Amino acid sequence: MACIINASTSAGLVQTADLSGVLQFQQNGVALPNGGVAPAFSAYPSGTQAISNATFTKLQFNTELFDTNSNYDNATNYRFTPTVAGYYQCNLTVNTQTSTTTTLIAIYKNGSSYLSGLQLPLSTFQVGSMSALIFMNGSTDYIEAYFYGSATTINSGSGGNQFSACLVRGA
Amino acid sequence: MLYEKIIALYPSLTSQDFMTVIQLQNDSDGKGDYIAKWEHPTLPRPTDEELA
Repeated sequence: MACIINASTSAGLVQTADLSGVLQFQQNGVALPNGGVAPAFSAYPSGTQAISNATFTKLQFNTELFDTNSNYDNATNYRFTPTVAGYYQCNLTVNTQTSTTTTLIAIYKNGSSYLSGLQLPLSTFQVGSMSALIFMNGSTDYIEAYFYGSATTINSGSGGNQFSACLVRGA
Repeated sequence: MLYEKIIALYPSLTSQDFMTVIQLQNDSDGKGDYIAKWEHPTLPRPTDEELA
């Protein structure tokens, strides 16, 4: 068994204790995945990525700095599908080679743009950052990172590129 | 590239058009660029033959 802390919609906070030395968090009697540990991930691109002109292109951030609940797909779809429902702080920073125009970076939720931000041109490169607080249902909702602008190349490495999210409040 | 083919067909299109009534997308799934949205008020969506 386990020592249980259960948030119940009928009885409020219910605590059950035993001598197992195991602690479990529950919502309405259902154990939270991963012992209630909040999912969090951060990923970056290990190589460069070419971007077509004026085309929203999904960013291939294929290397994980961490992925506490194995909810980020870094091989095929490059998407974060958390298995715990709640509100997630999502962050995106993108670094590209020089372009003369301002471009967009965007976080997509379930295949549609949820929020976009500007990436400003600098003398030798471009960089842009954005964040959003997004509700995820813990089963089918997912987020992805996209880039839009003139034809360019996404630089590699974690120093200028990161896509990350973490649970800040349960549903 | 898809954008260049569309511009060749419709030179009057602007960068604003591609951020509002037209959206090109690439989902990095190996299928390449495609038209995700075409809501231009006067110009018809290009056919596959025109974009080939």
